[in-house]
Amino acid sequence: MTATEPARPDLPPRSRGVIALLEENCTVCMLCARECPDWCIYIESHKETVPAPEGGRPRVRNVLDRFAIDFSLCMYCGICVEVCPYDALFWSPEFGYPEAGIAALTHERDRLREWMWTVPPPPAHGPGAPLPREAQAAGPRADPAGQPG
Amino acid sequence: MTPAEVLAEAGRLLPGSRGTAETGVAGAAPAETVTLDVPRQDWLAALAFARDVAGCDFFDWLTAVDEQDHGFAIVVHLYSLDSGQHLLVRTLVPREDPELPSATGLFGGARWAERETHEMFGVFFDGHPGLAPLLLPEGFEGHPLRKDFPLAARAAQEWPGAREPGERQASERSRRRLVPPGVPEGWPPA
Amino acid sequence: MAAVDLPSPGRGSGMATAEPPAAAGPIAAGGFSLRVFDAGLACCAVEVAAALRRCAGLLTDDGLGADDGLGANAGPAVDAGTGPVHVLVVAGTVTDKLAPLVVAAYRDLPEPRRVLSFGACSNSGGPYWDSYCVTKGADQIVPVDVYVPGCPPRPEALIHGLRLLRGMGEQR
Repeated sequence: MTATEPARPDLPPRSRGVIALLEENCTVCMLCARECPDWCIYIESHKETVPAPEGGRPRVRNVLDRFAIDFSLCMYCGICVEVCPYDALFWSPEFGYPEAGIAALTHERDRLREWMWTVPPPPAHGPGAPLPREAQAAGPRADPAGQPG
Repeated sequence: MTPAEVLAEAGRLLPGSRGTAETGVAGAAPAETVTLDVPRQDWLAALAFARDVAGCDFFDWLTAVDEQDHGFAIVVHLYSLDSGQHLLVRTLVPREDPELPSATGLFGGARWAERETHEMFGVFFDGHPGLAPLLLPEGFEGHPLRKDFPLAARAAQEWPGAREPGERQASERSRRRLVPPGVPEGWPPA
Repeated sequence: MAAVDLPSPGRGSGMATAEPPAAAGPIAAGGFSLRVFDAGLACCAVEVAAALRRCAGLLTDDGLGADDGLGANAGPAVDAGTGPVHVLVVAGTVTDKLAPLVVAAYRDLPEPRRVLSFGACSNSGGPYWDSYCVTKGADQIVPVDVYVPGCPPRPEALIHGLRLLRGMGEQR
């Protein structure tokens, strides 16, 4: 522990400190808001019609207006991160974000994106672990992380 | 006593009871747990049998289960420190008349358990020395652990998941269930 | 058998005095010392206990460098002459039955006093916000100065919260 950042412990991988949002992956399926046991995810969105390209037809897509997580309610269970089908939510180990006002504990889209830059890469698989599905689909190439020893 | 012996003795001494012995009940107990279902009038006799004949002198917990139309099932978990035998004694009281003799005469540990069961379910324990509320604050109305006691906070608060994707407010036309878990259908009453 | 009916929770001798004996002791930093009184009501109490045991040294003068951002410019509005600031750390679920005692603990703290809400339950009711017997946040009953989020927050998060509190000085 240094004098400048004394309260910075050695955090294990997959530490749950705060939840980060990668907005590009979010399709506004609302699964996280529905599954959250605390009801602490607030999502507002609207539909937009994308004009038809050549030979195509117009598509309707959801546009995210508001995505907020109320960390004063959040119990860090991780159900939202697990249930998101598009990997838009990530765990970050950052934990030091106290506030003087409780409203400031509701993090909006921009602050949730700021947390994305603190998300660590996923820890390597253990020795002898099966390859992840993406690597299996890519063909029977050897994956170095899956090699024992 | 082995579970089989407990069942045999129960069948002999408590003719109105039904007993089973199976593993996997009562938490992680590896041995077989004996479950005795007795009618209400045999309640104290069953507890005395458990303590004196089966040797289950350790009172673990007493609670109730809201079986809705069937009434309230009162369950007691007893344990024998000598033989390691787990015993569940159960009875059923009707909803209109939820009354049962108090077990405090046999097990002192039932005092607080019966107080809690009384305030949470409304079951009256006849003979209890002081059936005052234990955990709920003064002035609390109702019996919270009954199944018809709704979570008012959930019904009053707008559920963020009630919105459909692409909408700003909860839709009236959604086919999906819009009432969040924990709130009965049709609550709050209009 | 002689059954003893235990009394309902009430204020014992430890809580009614002006010098709370359970406090962690003064945490002095740059003349602004905090005397932390831990109202450990539930699981968060374990993290606060770990923090006060393990990390209290981090808030002393020895543990902080001159360039840690909370140096002289933090301007402690309370100088060493006025004595410690008493901080009530509410750590854990505040049930409706226990709420009057939390208020009593706050009232028994001498001035200057602050409240730090530790964990989701005392911030807003947390996972039990929909319960029939939980006060939805300690700020319903006492004025809270700093909220530390987490369920439970790390012990080091308490240190971050206390540093924020110290940096706020006299402001409320």
